[in-house]
Amino acid sequence: MDYDALVIGSGIGGMESALKLGDMGYKVLVVEREASIGGKMILLSKVFPTLDCASCISTPKMAATIHHPNIDVLTYAEVEKISRDAGGHFHAVVRKNPRFVDEDACTGCQQCEMACTVAVPDQFNADLVARRAAYIAFPQAVPKKAVIDRPGTSPCTFTCPAGIKAHGYVSLTRSGEYEKAFNLILETTPLVGSLGRACFAPCEDECSRGSLEGPVPIRRIKRFIADTHYASGNPVGVEPTAENGRRVAVVGSGPAGLTAAWQLRLLGYGVKVFEAAPVAGGALALTIPAYRLPGEVVAQDVGNLVAIGVEIETNHRIDDLEALHRDGFDAVLLATGTPRAARLGVEGEDLKGVVPSLTFLEDAKLGRPQHLRGKHVVVVGGGNVAIDAARSARRLGATVEQVCLERRHEMPAFAWEIEEALAEGVALHDGWGVAALRGPGSVQAIELKRCTAVFDASGRFSPRYDEADRGELACDAVIVAIGMGPDTAGFEGTLAPRRNRTADVHPETLQGGVPYVFACGDVALGATMITTAVGSGRRAAYMIDRYLQGQEFDAAAFDLRLPKVEPEDVLRRQKSHSEKPPGASGKAITNQPSDFWEIEAPLTEEEAHYGAGRCLDCGVCSECHECVNTCPADAIHLEMRPETIEAQVGAVIVSTGFRLFPADLKPQYGYGRYKNVITGMQMDRLLAPTRPYNSVLRPGDGKVPDRIAYVMCTGSRDQTVGNPLCSKICCMYSIKQNQLIMGALPLADVTVFTIDVRTAGKGYDEFYVQAASMGTNFIKGRIAGIRERENGNLIVRYEDIEHEGATREEEFDLVVLAVGVQPNLDTQALFAGDELAHDAYYYVAETDEDLSPGETSIAGVFVAGAAAGAKDIPESILHAGAAVAQAAAYIEGMKVGV
Amino acid sequence: MTARRIGVYVCHCGGNISDYVDVDRVIDAVKGEEGVTVARTAMFTCSDATQQEIYDDIQSLGLDGLVVASCSPKLHTLTFRGVAKRAGLNPYRYTQVNVREQCSWAHTDDREGATEKAIRLVRAGIARTALLAPLDPTVVETVPKTLVIGAGIAGLRAAIGLADIGLSVVVVEREAELGGRVQAFGPMYPNDKEGSELIGQLVEQVRRRESIAVFTQAEVVKKAGSFGNYVVDIRTHSSSSMTMQLSVGSIIVATGFADYQPAEGEYGYGIDGVVTLPEYKAMLDAAKGPLVRDGRPVRDVAYVYCVGSRQGDQGPNQYCSRFCCSAAVHASLQLHEKDPAARQYHLYRDMRTYGKYELMYQESREQGSLYLKFPEGEPPAVAKGADGRLLVTVRDQLTGQKEVGIAVDLVVLVTGMVPRENRELVKALKLPIGRDGFFNEIHPKLRPVETVVDGVAICGACQAPKSSSESVMSALAAVTQSAAILRQGRAELDPQVATVDADLCTDCGDCYDVCPYDAIAPQEMAAGRKVAMINPATCKGCGGCAPLCPAGAIDLQGYTGAQVVAMIDGLAREVV
Repeated sequence: MDYDALVIGSGIGGMESALKLGDMGYKVLVVEREASIGGKMILLSKVFPTLDCASCISTPKMAATIHHPNIDVLTYAEVEKISRDAGGHFHAVVRKNPRFVDEDACTGCQQCEMACTVAVPDQFNADLVARRAAYIAFPQAVPKKAVIDRPGTSPCTFTCPAGIKAHGYVSLTRSGEYEKAFNLILETTPLVGSLGRACFAPCEDECSRGSLEGPVPIRRIKRFIADTHYASGNPVGVEPTAENGRRVAVVGSGPAGLTAAWQLRLLGYGVKVFEAAPVAGGALALTIPAYRLPGEVVAQDVGNLVAIGVEIETNHRIDDLEALHRDGFDAVLLATGTPRAARLGVEGEDLKGVVPSLTFLEDAKLGRPQHLRGKHVVVVGGGNVAIDAARSARRLGATVEQVCLERRHEMPAFAWEIEEALAEGVALHDGWGVAALRGPGSVQAIELKRCTAVFDASGRFSPRYDEADRGELACDAVIVAIGMGPDTAGFEGTLAPRRNRTADVHPETLQGGVPYVFACGDVALGATMITTAVGSGRRAAYMIDRYLQGQEFDAAAFDLRLPKVEPEDVLRRQKSHSEKPPGASGKAITNQPSDFWEIEAPLTEEEAHYGAGRCLDCGVCSECHECVNTCPADAIHLEMRPETIEAQVGAVIVSTGFRLFPADLKPQYGYGRYKNVITGMQMDRLLAPTRPYNSVLRPGDGKVPDRIAYVMCTGSRDQTVGNPLCSKICCMYSIKQNQLIMGALPLADVTVFTIDVRTAGKGYDEFYVQAASMGTNFIKGRIAGIRERENGNLIVRYEDIEHEGATREEEFDLVVLAVGVQPNLDTQALFAGDELAHDAYYYVAETDEDLSPGETSIAGVFVAGAAAGAKDIPESILHAGAAVAQAAAYIEGMKVGV
Repeated sequence: MTARRIGVYVCHCGGNISDYVDVDRVIDAVKGEEGVTVARTAMFTCSDATQQEIYDDIQSLGLDGLVVASCSPKLHTLTFRGVAKRAGLNPYRYTQVNVREQCSWAHTDDREGATEKAIRLVRAGIARTALLAPLDPTVVETVPKTLVIGAGIAGLRAAIGLADIGLSVVVVEREAELGGRVQAFGPMYPNDKEGSELIGQLVEQVRRRESIAVFTQAEVVKKAGSFGNYVVDIRTHSSSSMTMQLSVGSIIVATGFADYQPAEGEYGYGIDGVVTLPEYKAMLDAAKGPLVRDGRPVRDVAYVYCVGSRQGDQGPNQYCSRFCCSAAVHASLQLHEKDPAARQYHLYRDMRTYGKYELMYQESREQGSLYLKFPEGEPPAVAKGADGRLLVTVRDQLTGQKEVGIAVDLVVLVTGMVPRENRELVKALKLPIGRDGFFNEIHPKLRPVETVVDGVAICGACQAPKSSSESVMSALAAVTQSAAILRQGRAELDPQVATVDADLCTDCGDCYDVCPYDAIAPQEMAAGRKVAMINPATCKGCGGCAPLCPAGAIDLQGYTGAQVVAMIDGLAREVV
């Protein structure tokens, strides 16, 4: 047996249970879900009826628990399942959630907290203030070790095909750390400026803000970051690893090849990129029109590679990969993209004036003369490249008609691209196929036939035509943009092409038939998006490194993204959020575009800041890596994952505590809508020695409250919220707060609205009498509703029962809702096999409350504290004592085989 | 004076101290004191992180003395002794200086003065520490046996609990029968279990356990020895009175409560038909159907709550008796079951059916019980009516302060619990009694069943009014407390006790009488000379003997004359 007892939960009941069992000589395992032991008590101000400081009572118990020779503590861990094994012992499965911080290395210095760029409500301060995503639970935390709050990966980052930390650079931008944001993107790719313009931004489609007023302008923020960096003239802020003597050749300088080259050079390889075209950049430099992505921006991005020592040779076509290997390259990466244009296969295709789109776009981008002014151009195709061609032709002075097989809603081009093309004067003829091109000599006309269906029943491309339905457009030129493919001719020996002519490499490792040859990007994937190609290049670099190091290919470590955080969950957890106008698109579209100036305006710093400020921090941690870079102990490891720990235990003590009633379920009290309506727990935080405002202030405007009202029985003794039970603790904690308030704010008037004052317990009624004599005004009467005035004050409407039952209204500065207690439902699914019985109100049932309080429906399982029903601290401690006495008896009984 | 290496830590206590005491100034003022090696502040000195810091300082700086200026020694002396011990420093070379209860909290209006006082207090602590010698605790073997006093539901359950953890138990009960008050009860709230049945089960369990010895008609008359090894005298008076002596490691007191007995005329008590809650409960438990009293059916019943409790200036009992609201409501349910036509009126101040007992209150209202809230200081009046019935007059706050007259057949005074008369036992065990007259625990949260007498625990309603199941809960907690000590087999006693310098002692005998613990006795030395000897296991270090000794032969370890003089010097020196 690993432990005599398992204690679940380390609030006051759990700690008391563990300490007493440990003192008796039993080995105890404590499992605590939060990052620190201590439960709710450590968060309180003082405790009734002795007015001891809660910290002073809790901290020695916390320290004693963690230092006890018989007690092991697992924090940030959850018991997943407990079953009974054949020998009658319990078998517990515990999930140790990753802190993403090495507990042994962390010194609790809090530098990560200060570096962190994400702020979220601090649950340990009852959401009154913010904490960081990297944080230490509270000042007296045990263990005092940081934790990185990462419930999952933010949807934007999760979606990015390149693996760029989108949330990370947004949060850095929000913090004004533009250069750090630039460097964060450099961790993935050097093509910051290019992606900031030409990426199709799937991140924005996933943005949780999208369902509110529109997504965060993530792509344009990236452009802002790039523009800011390049304008600053700062050198590249990354230091490549010193060259290790091994060399890699990269064939092709598109987004995939350049990203791979970048990564490999950072890892210490000597890298040389071969490019057939006169400029580096592939599609970025050649075919994406300058009005979307200026050539200078691509050149700046390429400059990053050059700056860290990547060699790039243009005008150098490679036909023989083996030759490169012979020339001393340890690995060769093919990244030549899809330069081969698809043909129409119709009569007249070779007429003069019929050009493939890639040739046309390249000529346009490189400024080669085209002579289209006043000409009539027909663009064939329905994809993004066709749109690029059409809009480029408009800019060269042509009238442009676009023909495509698909109906408009079926077109593969992005809807916004189509809209912009139409706005720029492109005439669209959708649902037409090309029957023939007519001369003579050069093309004069294009003959069309009605396309009746583009795809067959299974969704495959298989166009059908109504040959009888014909049309014809006169034209001076035709640009064909109906697809493109890889050009793998010549590499058959090393990379047998697949049927679609893509290089045949392993889909995960990207390794070809010859071990030193890899391929990435479109040459391996077929035509994709540039961002996908970037991701493929990054993967190739990782795999080549593994290959050259002689390590196993381990794809899991390549991508450290956690499961996606769902936007619905993000929106649900928002206490409140304002709808902020998303800002203008920044695009200048005219009907007569006449030049290749970028049509999209850059974000101003203010706009970038504003846009980033709308981020909801879905995954909490943005993966901006500031903590990783800051930690002096190298203690932060974002690659940590949950661990499963299994233990055989003799007895189990369930001390999972309680939840507080969510006050927004009583909408007539306005909690969540009126800032100066707070809960009892929030008031306790305001009064605690570690209080967030260092004074009792109301949260709405920081005013010192003069008139404070307490609404008792919020969520208790209330059939309308399904809880007829009395919560036992609220009268006393409110009266405690009354006394503390009168100490902190001697001039404040405190009024308590109550049904009955329930101060039954040793010294409790005397405590109540004391509060009344200090000046607390107790009024018997329930609150009908609360209204907020413009100045934030609150009008409380109540029935004054002791004074003829008159309905009255009174104004207060601050209203405290004395929220009650609810069961913690997590105990429901704790046990497999045996059923842990619960009472009608979902507390753990005590099967023999009269003689064996703490005993449950499962032999050997005991319940301690408020998990079995509302209890104050003294009662929880006694209850834990009772549970321990019986657990010890059970353990002793097992030893002698009773 | 030899060069000492003392570490001084001044606590902010989050603000409890630093809001009123300039802790940085305190550090500045004391860091140059002789013997101080390191002086620091901390947000929470008691937090694990700061404990670790102190631990590291002790080890890396080789500290041989420790001073923490924070809260009351009651709270954290043991905490920091523990830190010292873990780090290899003798724990009795630690001084806790109270700059919170005795400084910052007391002088919230005078930051300057509080700071100056704190400096003096810390200096005194340093001066004492500089003179502290290492001490080793007295270790005693503990007897694995517990004495349980009282065989009510709490005592019986405690005995069973102790036996099941492997300890021997002696149960001493004053009455001839086991079972105490619960034995007499019919159905009890909240689960309607019969009291007699519950006791029956426990008695059966007790009889089955060989490790439990039971003495009825017996009383504890004397306690000697020390913690872990007490020697108690038990006098039995069943057939013939005899006294026997037992060695026990710990004692659990479960002597229960007494009922509040109203005075003649209090709420009409004395008038025929006015009964207390226990009297009423007995009637109910005995009744097979509708209540009949003196041959007349009881059709209307009024309950007057808070009789003998929350008395304000009307009586000595200021406390709320906790169980009575729920018990009275439960009784009204019991009556309804026997007689659904009975009309019941509850005259109350605050209905305290706390927790899930609220459900009984709700059920009682649904059954038709009427609840009327009377004002503080204007209690209902009970009088004999003209028709032979009783007339209760009450002002009802729930219906516009109307004065209501209710004619009833029975008035139940919902009486509470009061402390039980136990003078002999209190004297024998030196049990501490609280303001309410019940036995007092050390601290309701830190040590809720322990008393200031080491090894003597209290549980059940002798501590405060409790329901039956609450009494059982505290009894089991007392079991846990006892077992946590006795299962270790040994206990360490505080070595800060008085010692006698045999060379100076003249055997004048003054100290023998003054010692409240009988720890000092003359002992024959060589050459027929007698001197006072102090038993370190029984001495509590109270210090009562030391100033009395005309020869100055007695010193208190940890508070020697030299140490106290040094502290006074530290306190007296001007703060510049």
